[in-house]
Order: sequence, then structure tokens, then C-alpha cells
Amino acid sequence: MVRFTDKIPAFFKRREWLLFGLIVLTFLFFNVQEPNNYTLVKLLNQTRVYMVDVGFMALGMLLVLILGDIDISVAAIAALSATVMGVTYKAGQGLPFGISIVLMLVTGVLCGLVNGLLVIRFKELFPMIITLATQTLYRGIAYIILKDQSAGSFPTWFSKDLGYGLVNIFGLDVPVMLLCLLAVFPLYHLWLHHTVSGHRYFATGTNLTASRFSGIHTDKIKLSAFMLNGLFAAIAGFFLTSRTGSVKYTIGTGFEMQAIAVAVLGGASTSGGKGSVVGLLLALVLLTALKNGLMLLYNDAFILNLSVGLLLILVVLIPNLLGMLNKYRTVRRQRLELAKT
Amino acid sequence: MSFLKKLVRNREAGLTLVIILLVLLVGLRNPAFASLSNLQFILGDTSIMIILALGMLCVLLVGSIDISISAIMALSAMTAGILMKNNLGLVETTTLVEGVETALAIKTSTPLIVLILLAMGVGAACGLVNGLLIAYGKVLPIVATLGLQYIIYGLSHLVSSGQAIYRKDMSESFIQFTRHNLLGFNSKVWIMLGTFLLLYFFITYLRSGRRLYAVGSNREAAQMSGIDTKRTTLMAHVIMGALAGLAGMLYASHDNKVTQDMAMGYEMYVIAACVIGGVSVTGGFGKILGVLLGALAIGVINNGLTMLRLTGNSEFWKKAIQGAVILIAVVTNVYIKRGHEKRVLRERRL
Repeated sequence: MVRFTDKIPAFFKRREWLLFGLIVLTFLFFNVQEPNNYTLVKLLNQTRVYMVDVGFMALGMLLVLILGDIDISVAAIAALSATVMGVTYKAGQGLPFGISIVLMLVTGVLCGLVNGLLVIRFKELFPMIITLATQTLYRGIAYIILKDQSAGSFPTWFSKDLGYGLVNIFGLDVPVMLLCLLAVFPLYHLWLHHTVSGHRYFATGTNLTASRFSGIHTDKIKLSAFMLNGLFAAIAGFFLTSRTGSVKYTIGTGFEMQAIAVAVLGGASTSGGKGSVVGLLLALVLLTALKNGLMLLYNDAFILNLSVGLLLILVVLIPNLLGMLNKYRTVRRQRLELAKT
Repeated sequence: MSFLKKLVRNREAGLTLVIILLVLLVGLRNPAFASLSNLQFILGDTSIMIILALGMLCVLLVGSIDISISAIMALSAMTAGILMKNNLGLVETTTLVEGVETALAIKTSTPLIVLILLAMGVGAACGLVNGLLIAYGKVLPIVATLGLQYIIYGLSHLVSSGQAIYRKDMSESFIQFTRHNLLGFNSKVWIMLGTFLLLYFFITYLRSGRRLYAVGSNREAAQMSGIDTKRTTLMAHVIMGALAGLAGMLYASHDNKVTQDMAMGYEMYVIAACVIGGVSVTGGFGKILGVLLGALAIGVINNGLTMLRLTGNSEFWKKAIQGAVILIAVVTNVYIKRGHEKRVLRERRL
């Protein structure tokens, strides 16, 4: 007996379609509710606020989640590296801005390196515990450097052209930041899904022991994932600062959870071996559409978080329940066939 | 010699030594730290964390984790707080003040025990949802409780409609709840001790308590031997939720304030306390006494960092040092464990 669900090609069963459907539904729902304020053009402008910094963090987080690890210190890394940038630039009194940026990126990578070294040196420990401790450490260092002050007065190209700049593409005003983020996605996708070095991350996440025995330097892979994650966190801090115009030690608090939520929504699993860049992008778009709409309707951060949490659980739970139902049906069918014979 | 060896090998004893050492070191710099009253204060202050860590032990034992506890604390304290606020009334009584009978208006509300039971019930319900998602919905624990954390904080916001509950909305019995002293110890300490003994009995002597270990150390084997692993996971989460509700009430009474985002970030300290106390995050391993000591160690560190009065405003240093200290504690823990494993291997060869 061939059932209808077997006929649907596997391609259409992918999570990406679920996300895509949800994006369309969300957009239509809010567009009907707020026809004047919730349009594609306005949404595109709002991606500056809701999409770019979390997007960069999620890109790094994806890599760590694929390995089956987790990093909750990313927001603290973003805060620390942005702090380093702000303090070394000293509103034009200190180092040239280019060198400050390099220092910022180096800080991010170094923080990631510390995380990675701790994770591979102490395999008995859950990465969650390690990054939990380093999170307090990194944000604490940012606190010591900046105290309660904020560092600002960045060059205009940074705080104005990058933070608020728009580029006209086919009659649409696209934020410069969004273009920067979108430029990364194809490269990242090609690297992660279509090269050997990208596949090594999936292999390591799926079966660490088997990967090691087949000649993959799993420790190096883990270390590089954490370092890249640190780099992406620093970049996220960079864009966050350009959007807000100044650095405080508290910037980006709670972003790590959002980054994890985006990656998981996009198909990554915290137990490793799964994840997709396309799914991540769709999850980002979905969250942006949802957050923007909810902010328009309720203007309330708590309701926003509530729906993000609900979405996160539903998107993970529904495929699980469907899978269980499918399994139950198969077992019942087999039993019936057995009873006939 | 053999006594010393045993002492070194016993993890709980080692941890106790570390705590005593910490107290002595900080006491050298600031003698007020090692005074009896301050130590009692630390114990009272840490009680809430210990209660939460006891619940977290159950959850970690079955190989799960719960990062929604701070949200559960907020929601349950908020629900009970609103009931208390709505039933608030004044009762005129007369008391003897310096031999003169004086009229006194005391704020009363729903009996304290009802409030606490309500908070624990709300907490247990949240734990139930967590457990259902994890055990029956097969959602990974971190993802489920992360999502629930968002949802529960949102619910606590909806329940409170954005309002916080202050001292003026609290009944006298609730305000005094954590301000009673018995035999020199705060009521929080006694509640913590009661919870500890109850859970100790449960985990060590009852069948369903032992099942927590069985499920965590080998889920398949536990299932094969007839244990309902799903129900055990569910039970652990419900216990955690109820204890979080209790802790939420203590926290609210201690602070004289309930806000919708109360205790944000507290869960991380609780998990750290469990890890320092020797609980394995992958499940099946951990002693209840260790958890108590682990939480105490964090309490001593927190209080000690304030009392050390490092250069300038110690708050600046406290944040950074806390992370470093937790890291060092956890890493030392690994070295101790490695040494233990090596020794076991060596003894086997002999």
C-alpha cells in the first residue's frame, strides 16, 4: 500500500518549507492587522534592528551547535570586543579606527580560543558550564574596563553610513547592514554544505569517535568552531555598536538565547550533527517578521519573548509529534497485516 | 595516614575544607567576615540557592536540565503576590507597648500557607509542562526549557499586567516570613533544612528516588528493568518546579518585592552550584550533600568578594572574579575526578 505522504518527495518534507509557510502566514496576518505600518518596505528597513546582529551571532552559533556543543558566552564576547574597540579608539584620541577594529576582531577570536581550549582540554565538562563561567568573566572584564561609562563618538561612516545607511536596489531601500549580512550567507552555505572542510563539522557532530578514527582532527575542528564563533560574535558587536552609536558593558544582554533560538528554529539540534544555513536564514526572516509585527501591535518586549518561546517550542515539537504519529501508524498497520495472515 | 587519605578522596570533605579555607582567607583580610553572625547571614542568604540546587539535582540526575527556574520563580511569586494584594485588608488589634495598650492595624491577607501552596502549585504546573515536553514530546531539555523560560516570563508579565508588587501590597505575615529567627538561624535556613532532609530521604531510601539515578546512568537498562523512564523524568521536573515556586516565595519575601523579571539569570548560579558539588551534567551521578556544599561555596564566594573590599568599588571586580572562580572550581573538580579515575585503574591492575 502506497500512502499519500510517501508520494511527497523528500524535498518538500524539509523543515525549510514549514518555515517558509510560517513566514508567509506571519506576514499576511500582520499585514491585514496593520496595513499601513506593516509592509514589505518597512519590514526591510526594520531588519536593521531585528536581524543583523542576531544573524551574525547565529551564524557562529550554528557551527558550535552542529558539533553538539553550545556557547552561551557569545553576547558577552560581543560586549567585550565592542568595548575594546570603543576604548582603544577613545573617541578619536586613541588609535586609528582601523586598528581598533582589528583589535576588536582579535579580542573576539581570543575569547573564542579560550572557550575552545577549555572545551577540548576538559572533555568531562559540558560546554554549557564552561561558557557560562566565561560569560560572566568576559562581561566582567568589559565592566572593569568601562565601569558604568559608555564609549562613543565613532567616525560618521561607522555610526551613520553603516548604522543607518540605505542602498537603493531596484527601487527598494535596503539597509547597508543587511547587505553585509546577506553577503556572508552564500559563502557560508557553500563552505558548510559543499566543501570537505564544512562536512567535517557535521561528521564530528554526528559521531565524534568515528570521525576521529577516520582521520579528522576533532579537537582542531572544535577549536576552530569556537574561534569562528568568537569572530562572528565580535562582528555582531561591531554592527550592534554601529546601530546604537555607543558601547556599554551591558550591550547585547540575552542575545545568546536569541541566537540559539534562531539556529534551532532553522533546523539545528543541540545534540549535534544537524543544521542548515538556508534554514537559519529563513528562521531569521521569520523571527524578524514576527518581532516587528508584535512590536507594532503590542509594543511590549515580554509578549515578544513569549511568542518567540512559543514558536521555538512548536517548531521543534510538531515534527517530533508527527514522527511519533507516523511510527504509531506504521506499527498498527504492521500488526493488522500480521493479524490477517 | 589512612584517615588523611580517606579525607582527600572524599569529595564532600574536600569541598568542606575548601569552604573553611575560603572563610579563613577572607577572614584574615576582613575579620568581620568570619564572625558567627555573618556566617549565619551567609547561610540564610544561600538557602534559596540551596533549595533550587536540590531541585536541579533531581533534574540533572535524570540527564535533563532546567534553565527556566528563574522564570518559574517569578511567575509563582507573582501569582501568589497578586492573590495577596487582592485580599489585602487591615485588622485592628491591640498590643502592649511598654505597658500601655495601643491600637495597631495589621495588614492581613490570604493565609501564608495558602499562598505558599499556590506558588508551589504554579511552579509544579510549569515543571509539569517542562517534563511533558521533554519526556513525552522528545524536545531536547535545553531547547524546551529555554523556550519555556521566554513563555513563563511573558506569562508573569501578563499576570501582573506590568505592575510590580511592593511592600505595601504585602501582608504582615508574608513580610515577616523570612525575618523570623529560631535558635539563631533564619526561617529560610530551617525551610532549607527541612527540604534537604525530605529530599535526602526521598533520594536515598525511596524506590522512586533511586529511579532518578537509574534513569540517568543508563536509560535503556532502566527501561528494560521495568522503570517508566518518562514518568521519572516528568517527576524530576515537577519536583524542580515546586521547589522553584517555594524559592520564589522566599526570594520575594526576602526582597519585599516581586517584579515580573525577578531573579533573572539565577539559574546559571544554581547549575554552577550543582557542578561544583560534583553532579554530572550528563546524568546519573551526584550526591545531595555535595550540592549543599557546592551552593554554600558559591554563597561564601559571593559574600566574600563583597567583604574583601578590593580596590575601589568591589562590585566592578565581583562580576569578573565570580566567573573566574566558578571556572577554577569546575576545572579543579575535573582534575580531582581524573586523579580518582587513574587511581581506580591502578588499583584494578594490582
